[in-house]
Amino acid sequence: MRIRFRAAALAASAAALFPAAWAVIAAMPPFGEHVSPYGAAVNAVVPAARHVSNMVAAVNFDLRGLDTLGEESMLLCAVTGTVVLLRGARGEGTSGSAVRLPGRAIAQRSDATILVCRFAATLLFFFGVYVALHGLVTPGGGFQGGVIIASGLLLLYLGEGYAHWRSIVRGRILSFLEGAGALLFVLVGAIPLALGKAAFRNILPLGTLRDLYAGGTMVVVNAAVACAVAGGFTLILLEFMEETRAPETEREPGEGG
Amino acid sequence: MIWLTGIMLVIAAAAGLLVVLSRNPKRQIFALCANGLVLSLLFFALQAPDVALSEIVVGAVVVPLLFLVALAAVAVARVRK
Repeated sequence: MRIRFRAAALAASAAALFPAAWAVIAAMPPFGEHVSPYGAAVNAVVPAARHVSNMVAAVNFDLRGLDTLGEESMLLCAVTGTVVLLRGARGEGTSGSAVRLPGRAIAQRSDATILVCRFAATLLFFFGVYVALHGLVTPGGGFQGGVIIASGLLLLYLGEGYAHWRSIVRGRILSFLEGAGALLFVLVGAIPLALGKAAFRNILPLGTLRDLYAGGTMVVVNAAVACAVAGGFTLILLEFMEETRAPETEREPGEGG
Repeated sequence: MIWLTGIMLVIAAAAGLLVVLSRNPKRQIFALCANGLVLSLLFFALQAPDVALSEIVVGAVVVPLLFLVALAAVAVARVRK
């Protein structure tokens, strides 16, 4: 009865909305046709004006740098909120091993798994660094490089297991990276203000097109975003992984209060 | 090129349907993982490799992992009770 009512409601609303939806669908440009005048303008102007070949990075880090600063602070707030929420319920103890459900068999990792994970994690880490470094030349950039670095560190967990991974990946370094990246971004925006120019004015020498150093302040912003994203994402992964830690005592230091 | 995009779109829709239709949370997470992978291939086919790089890490690794950890935490809490 309820399902029949739902189906009737769906049919009625679909019949009512279909003419409007069809009008929009019929008026859309053909698939794969680029009609954005802003994109065309960026493609025409930016390589000469900013000496970079990755237009997405140029828009994110220079032309609309203020928007990216907003996204960056959103990431910082999200990471901070997650960490405070999870640590507040759990305490700050770091030692210990992962929790084990009673009755579940413990599968030992084979040597091949550990070896492959170590190799793959190292390769993935350096690939992330590569993607971040070449962010202004080829597709990619700070965000992509940062998340690839974070996933490389996660792959290390797959090979090493919880306790060992926990001793390799340090939360303090990650939170430092996250905060320092955000601070660097703010400085790039604010230093031109102190010099009496507009915020996010590109004050560094622009470098040469298709070179590793190209784009002036974009290089700094790119590095800042890479640091902040790598640190922030790994920190979130770390805090979630901590949820699977076996508690040593009933009340841990930092709990309650 | 257009048929490749069409096939990818159909696969992406099918993967999304799998996420909705599977009732076991663990299977749902792996379906979500597959959906992220298919979506990143679709972005790659649509010539957006930078978006594909983000999607493959965020959609196919980070988000499913957070869900898996949440499931594990729920299972542990149930045992402790």
